Amino acid sequence: MGIAALSLPFQIAAALTFALVAMVACVHLGMVFLHVAPSNTVTKQHGQAIDEWIYPEFEQNWKLFAPNPLQQNIAVQVRAEVKGVDGAIRTTRWYDLSALDGRAIDGNLLPSHTQQNELRRAWDFFAATHDNANRPNGLRGDLSERYLRRIAVLRLDREGAGGAGAVVQQVQVRSRTTNVPPPEWSQEQVSDKPVLRQLPWWPVSDTDRAAGTRPVNATERAVSAR
Amino acid sequence: MSNDGSTPVSDQSGTPVAAPETRPARSPGRERPAGRVSRFDREYRIDRKMRHAVSRLTGQALGPYQTAVIRIGFAGTWLLFLLREIPHRQEMYGPDGPWSWDLAQQLIASNHAFTALMWADSQVWFEIVFGFAVLSAALFMLGWRTRTMSVLFLLGVLSLQNRSIFMGDGGDNVIHLMAIYLVFTRCGQVWSLDARRERRAAAPRARAGHDEQAEEQAGHPRPDRSGSRPDRAGIALWAVLGLALAAVTLAGKIDGGMLGGWRTIYWGLWALQALWWLTGRYAARSDQPRIFLDVVANLVHNAALFVIMAEACLIYATAGWYKIQGSRWQDGTAVYYPLHLDYFSPWPALSDLLSASGTMVMLVTYGTVIAQVAFPFTLFNRRVKNVLLAVMMTEHAVIAVVLGLPFFSLAMIAADAVFLPTSFLRRLGGWVTRARVWLLSRLSQLPRLSRLSRFGRFGRALPGAGKGSGADEETSEESGEGEPRPPEAADHPHVGFTA
Repeated sequence: MGIAALSLPFQIAAALTFALVAMVACVHLGMVFLHVAPSNTVTKQHGQAIDEWIYPEFEQNWKLFAPNPLQQNIAVQVRAEVKGVDGAIRTTRWYDLSALDGRAIDGNLLPSHTQQNELRRAWDFFAATHDNANRPNGLRGDLSERYLRRIAVLRLDREGAGGAGAVVQQVQVRSRTTNVPPPEWSQEQVSDKPVLRQLPWWPVSDTDRAAGTRPVNATERAVSAR
Repeated sequence: MSNDGSTPVSDQSGTPVAAPETRPARSPGRERPAGRVSRFDREYRIDRKMRHAVSRLTGQALGPYQTAVIRIGFAGTWLLFLLREIPHRQEMYGPDGPWSWDLAQQLIASNHAFTALMWADSQVWFEIVFGFAVLSAALFMLGWRTRTMSVLFLLGVLSLQNRSIFMGDGGDNVIHLMAIYLVFTRCGQVWSLDARRERRAAAPRARAGHDEQAEEQAGHPRPDRSGSRPDRAGIALWAVLGLALAAVTLAGKIDGGMLGGWRTIYWGLWALQALWWLTGRYAARSDQPRIFLDVVANLVHNAALFVIMAEACLIYATAGWYKIQGSRWQDGTAVYYPLHLDYFSPWPALSDLLSASGTMVMLVTYGTVIAQVAFPFTLFNRRVKNVLLAVMMTEHAVIAVVLGLPFFSLAMIAADAVFLPTSFLRRLGGWVTRARVWLLSRLSQLPRLSRLSRFGRFGRALPGAGKGSGADEETSEESGEGEPRPPEAADHPHVGFTA
């Protein structure tokens, strides 16, 4: 069929539609292009309009392993202060949550996002929203702290940190960044000493306990049962 | 192609569907002696090309196989992903997962992303939405009520992804974008349950289509589409969705925004379905509104297809051009590093093996950048494009295993598939059909299952070229993926809500 089968009024309407559709498609592609392009004259002048068009549903980032691939393994580790069944407060050893993720991914044809993305991206989120003194930069910074804390408590409970019935009272998170050793065939030298970034202790409240964590009052019940 | 004449032609338009190749031949001025005044000829030629382009863009939804294959690709990827994550669904999207409902609420209050999961924080609602996402992905992949399902699929994708944006990666991002674009395409023209229903409804009307009769109950009259057979399932689906939309709107759950935002979009799409149905219902009175809507649908489809292709090019261009600036991509060691990140090395021994030779790593590093940067430009040359396409798909298949990114790779392969040539896709459809016929014939040896073999074919009706009979091997030479074949059977208006 097509436009030729239409009477004149409909043909005019179709022509207008044609123009509108073509315009929207071109504007959209232009916006997406400017969104993924490096900062330039146009984006500096019209950044606001571009962002309004793109966010939240057309956000995208295709700098896949670019400009340089990540050359460091960033391990997120956590330890806790737990209250045992006997009511005593103990500090656990460091748990390397990233290493646990890595082990879950090893030999896995279908790694889960919970193993590959959850902790890794939570740490990226935290690092991007905090300054060097670990101060949050506003709402997103606060959200990232609570997110990281909830992940930490969930993972610690899964690992049974502090022994049976123990309840996490505080957590401390640190990142351990190690350079990927240069290839054997290269003469390059990089330091193999890990760099630690240690965050302050965070008290754990009830709102920090995600589904799958141990009930908070486990200790109380265990104690009162004696 | 020569199939056009034998396919049932829409009985409403009054004008027979002509193959676009023949259209310019009928335009005025054809009789003018050729080569008399070259300037006139040149103008005439430009004019003719314009006409040809306009008639193609308004008269056809181009790339029926390409849009179908990406529909199946993205919906299938999302479906497999959801099924794989069923054990982890609470941790990823559940109301009390690490990224809790409360945290999501605060973030979404600032970015206004759409997600149905924020409509309620109950466990039951979460399970409903998750199940809905799985179901809509499956039905969209199969192409049942494709246009409606494309919207529901989008709803599922946005609801889950926007609920926990820190859970996703590049693969989720591709699916997110493509789910939006697919809503605007007529991606159910082939390889869909809609197409099968269409074919079956059309078969009795076309007296010549006797090869179909084995599947159609003989003597079962099917009124033509302007006739009175009510499309009950379609009407019911539309009514239910309208009620749901009304309930959600009245409850104030959908955010407004520019021009009403999502509210306008969902209500608009819902109203369009009704309009499409009405114009078909009263086509006997006047076929003009129906043809007009068909033209609009084609225009929007073709624009969306163009945007999808451009988006794929932008992905590769961005990935490539930014790499060029990186020192590791310049010194030829870049590929070594991801292979040695703990999060992306499920097979450390394999990673070591692949990066054992510095020269090989450099070749792959340079090759990746060259391929990504070059890809958009190769679209101008079919042969080079197809070679590069094969390279890209292979690379993504390798990445799926070596870097442990199966769903990202699958999504990227689905995006690549939009550039596959029609001839190849048709051959692929033939293989799938034959594989299924073979499988079903095996199964039907168990008498209990013999009914299964009556499931329709996984291909488009090719009158005179019965599938599964070997005739689908007619591959012809590349019938031009830049110029996808005119959608034969699917060209006529659809029944009910399959617009």
